[in-house]
Amino acid sequence: MSHIHLPDGVLPIWLWVSGWMVSVLAWIILLRMTEKKDVSRRLPLLGMMAATMVLGASVEILPIAYHVNLTVISGILLGPSLIFMATFIVNVILALFGHGGITVIGLNTLVLSMEGVLGYFLFRLFWKVLKKLTIATFLATFLALALSTFAMIGVVGLGVPHYEELIHQESGTGIFNFELLREKTDHHAMEGTGKEVDLKRFVAVVLPLGCLGWILEGVITCLIIRYIHRLRPDLLRLKSESS
Amino acid sequence: MIQLSYLDYAAVEGKSWLHRLPAKVKMVGVLFVLFGVVAWRSLPGLLILYLLLVTLFFASRVPRKIFPLTLYPLIFASLFILISGFQLRFILLVFLKVLSGSTGVVLLLATTSYPSIFSVLDKILPSLFVTALFLTYRSMFILLGVLEETQQALHLRGGFQWRSPWRSLINISNAFGHLIIKGIDASEAMYESMLLRGFQGRFHDRGDKERE
Repeated sequence: MSHIHLPDGVLPIWLWVSGWMVSVLAWIILLRMTEKKDVSRRLPLLGMMAATMVLGASVEILPIAYHVNLTVISGILLGPSLIFMATFIVNVILALFGHGGITVIGLNTLVLSMEGVLGYFLFRLFWKVLKKLTIATFLATFLALALSTFAMIGVVGLGVPHYEELIHQESGTGIFNFELLREKTDHHAMEGTGKEVDLKRFVAVVLPLGCLGWILEGVITCLIIRYIHRLRPDLLRLKSESS
Repeated sequence: MIQLSYLDYAAVEGKSWLHRLPAKVKMVGVLFVLFGVVAWRSLPGLLILYLLLVTLFFASRVPRKIFPLTLYPLIFASLFILISGFQLRFILLVFLKVLSGSTGVVLLLATTSYPSIFSVLDKILPSLFVTALFLTYRSMFILLGVLEETQQALHLRGGFQWRSPWRSLINISNAFGHLIIKGIDASEAMYESMLLRGFQGRFHDRGDKERE
């Protein structure tokens, strides 16, 4: 639910450009911080986990149109720096299939990687404190998804003046009216038209659906972690921390 | 996502003029479409753009089975409409932007093989990013194969049934767990074979040799 399923051209330009800039900057910093040899060695794993996330996103759980993200489990398995790169790749591929716009890839990467990074750290924290795999996984997933959903609502909320402008723009302004630079100049024309953008309505629909999704994904992640723990416990790197 | 392999097949096997056009030209075309989607706020303009793309879609003989893929983003756009207070103009604007963007991108994927796309990207983007993108794309086909096998096993174990949701959740989670473990095993094998073939952080396409 935390993925911004927005098409291109709906969010204000300053917002998605900032998203792209921060994502690219984060990518460069993470690359500098990680050893090149280590990144090269883990590239196939990164690709495989990114592919798993893409496949997860294609499994719709009807009737609430929710799909599993698998970001938290990927974060736990990949670690905080690789999960950022993986979510970037996932968002590029999802955008190529029309699952979110190409311009919002940067923002989606920030929101989704926040989920993965938070999931990783929360899982380690709860595991250290509680020493119970199922509870630690559920709490980490639930909280990471809840926080990233609020981040997504925040991002959508930042565009409210722009949506109002789109709604109140007069029709019949010609076929080819390009409006890249008009955002700041139209506000006077909008005065007195009344606000019709209702973010509360959006939040009222997204949060209950999201809450169902957080629980569902929390349960699914717990079951997956238990499965992996049974077959390949080394992947979770828990032994060193429990002793 | 199962349509992925079909999309790839359509891109490789298609023989239309759009299929024959260089990947670079088509990618610049998609950039123009995206620019239009971002910058245009005129309903007639966006409608013309969308109709043009749909015409191109059918003129280039892309299998009709792929067309529903361009409509998929409408599900999510519908959620966003809640913000607008159901303003007809806004709804049409958002829908046309969604449809134009997705049709343009799907048209590119359905008429261009992915090695050609990555080959162009490799010239403008960092090689590490393109290598990761390529490996992800390749991994998706490997995982789809595993998923098909898993689906059969899942079906034998009861699959997904609304009557027993807990059992179904366990089945789905085990399938994903299986997919992840198989995927990680495959990634280790893939890395070893890449090393054996002299992998040093990036892939080389046929154009590299010609340039040298």
